[in-house]
Amino acid sequence: MADIEIIDAEKRFGANHVIRKLNLHIAHGEFVVLLGPSGCGKTTTLRALAGLESIDSGEIRIGGRRVDQLPPQQRDTAFVFQLYSLYPHLTSFDNIAFPLRAANMPEAQVKTEVNAVAKVLRIEHLLKKRPSALAGGDMQRVTIGRALVRRPEAMLMDEPIGALDAKLREEMRAELRRLHIENDSTTVYVTHDQVEAMSMADKIGVMHDGLLQQYDSPTKVYDEPANLFVAQFVGSPIMNVVDCHCETSSSGVTMQLDGMAAPLVLGARAAAKLRGLAAPDLALGIRPEAVHVARAATVGAVPAHVHLIEPMGAYDIVDMKVGTTPGAGATLRARTASQFVRRQGEPVWLTLDDARTHFFDKRSGFALRAGA
Amino acid sequence: MAQVSVHGLRKRYGAVQAISDLSLDIRDREFFVLLGPTGAGKSTTLRCIAGLEQPEHGEIRIAGERINEWSAAQRDVALVFQQYSLYPNYTVRENLAFPLKSKLRHFTPQQIEERVAKAANTVRITHLLDRRTDRLSGGEMQRVSIGRAIVREPRVFLMDEPLSNLDAKLRELLRAELKGLQQRLGTTLIFVTHDQVEAMTMGDRIGVVNKGALIQVGTPYEIYNTPRNTFVASFVGAPAINLFDVALDVEAGTALDGAIGFPLESSTCARLATLPLPPDRRVRVGVRPEDVKLVAEGGIAGTIYGAEHHGVEIIAIIQAGAHMLRATIPADYRITVNQPVQFAFTQDKLHFFDPLTGESLRQPSSPT
Repeated sequence: MADIEIIDAEKRFGANHVIRKLNLHIAHGEFVVLLGPSGCGKTTTLRALAGLESIDSGEIRIGGRRVDQLPPQQRDTAFVFQLYSLYPHLTSFDNIAFPLRAANMPEAQVKTEVNAVAKVLRIEHLLKKRPSALAGGDMQRVTIGRALVRRPEAMLMDEPIGALDAKLREEMRAELRRLHIENDSTTVYVTHDQVEAMSMADKIGVMHDGLLQQYDSPTKVYDEPANLFVAQFVGSPIMNVVDCHCETSSSGVTMQLDGMAAPLVLGARAAAKLRGLAAPDLALGIRPEAVHVARAATVGAVPAHVHLIEPMGAYDIVDMKVGTTPGAGATLRARTASQFVRRQGEPVWLTLDDARTHFFDKRSGFALRAGA
Repeated sequence: MAQVSVHGLRKRYGAVQAISDLSLDIRDREFFVLLGPTGAGKSTTLRCIAGLEQPEHGEIRIAGERINEWSAAQRDVALVFQQYSLYPNYTVRENLAFPLKSKLRHFTPQQIEERVAKAANTVRITHLLDRRTDRLSGGEMQRVSIGRAIVREPRVFLMDEPLSNLDAKLRELLRAELKGLQQRLGTTLIFVTHDQVEAMTMGDRIGVVNKGALIQVGTPYEIYNTPRNTFVASFVGAPAINLFDVALDVEAGTALDGAIGFPLESSTCARLATLPLPPDRRVRVGVRPEDVKLVAEGGIAGTIYGAEHHGVEIIAIIQAGAHMLRATIPADYRITVNQPVQFAFTQDKLHFFDPLTGESLRQPSSPT
């Protein structure tokens, strides 16, 4: 059993505080993605797990055993880098067999193990080829095979598919996830690409400035972001975040956005998040798919006009300005059916999905929760 | 008026034929995107228009005038690259003023000041004017680069992957900004990228380039909905289009290939009857992930190989025999790995290609 525990880990490079008081528990068999922009501390965390970097204070435990003082080879982890890092003069078979032979495994067993891993990765037909004869995705599969063949307690991956083209990345996402399931391994994966994180992870650890912002399932991170940073880092198109002014009156809780002729009365689920709040100046967050667009006026809908249409193929992203003054008003983006609106300047009417509104304290960035 | 036309362009680098017989007509005030993979010849085309490369054959015209013999400076075009190429020791203001101080142009200091202020306002960098460019973030630097291009008020903007070095969020914001800017300025813009999302979201029209040749020109909707061949079909759209070969029996109304067999709807049969099918009736079917749906019964049998929860939707990866198909399904569906499922296609959205040439099968009379 290889659950991984990071307790109060701290790391500085000179004046640079790269990991701040990090606590993370990764259960055996979980696929955890550390997600964040460059410089957020995610790679340093991964390297600290592998033993390629020491921590200044705190503890790291793998399978209950404290490892932060141990050299990398005694930690039983396998590390896959972005670069292919294969030996160019060896065949795929010999590359994969390398760590087994280094551990003096008998040759018959080496053969069995390499073939088993090649079968899982579907690279049996490539075993006699050298790296120079392989396509990018195949090379990456061989690299993963070399890491897997030792059956390590934990697989650590640092942007392993970042260098591949879009289509291959799409395929490798599915393969890596599948491999993780079939091997019953514990995987920690680092990336700056939120699509990779969402598509593969059991849990995502979103990092920013050395601090863990949120640690949750992809669905939770997407639907209940803890703060503005997470809200806007995860999801594409980006979540709308606009200034809003909220008030409690006799008619309920109302919200005013730039460009609105009259305040909007919020539904019960949105209002619940704002109950008893002292500071009325907040940021409204709403994902583009939760902004519903109509081409005719309906009761309670907010008038707006089309500013820009971005076709995505399967759907359109429509940038709208609230109100009827051209170019003025808060900007909201919606996801609509392809060619639902036809031209810029076109009048539209918006409704916001009550259950999917988010409110953030503009100063702290924290999300407000119902009943909090 | 600044139409740009390129006719019969050819360019070779040693043994590599970078561009082979490429012709393009770009309209005045158009946002035109050249889209293709690395090495397709799109940057070379742009550099030929800019005057940074000489084609060995072909004619380049701006506003109807042949400009092959003109120097880069005489062409009155402005280039923006992926690298910011700003002068690091100078302020933003000095960087913006620089192109106006050329001896070719005769601007008074006051004119320069006015133009710099206007350009800075347009790309929203007025607050940065006195800052040195090496103190700027990536997004700010690229705004300054664009500002330096617009300050000259050129006839044509040429941009080569200007957003590629920026992070995802900034790219998304700048995409919309750049498209809005081009519309406000009304200047013809040719934009080179390998990113299909940039091409789809910004282009009035897209020219898809591969191996030095222009494959298809059309609006984003045309490119996505009626790709001319399997290259265009797979290059545009994420997740990528599903492609698999079947043997058609239009009379019996079936499409078969070992693991994938499905009945053809009567409207599909009617459509196929008008297409020039290969003699052996084998075709390559293309179906986009949003046109694959899970059904309760009567569909094609498969197994869930993977499920990617993207928040707004789920991408289901379905294994059917040797095929892996992707389907985008609503975010609230519950699917698990290894679960048996049945799926069907939205048949009026099926694409049919010749399996040998990859060309889309079209009615002989239909325009491309």
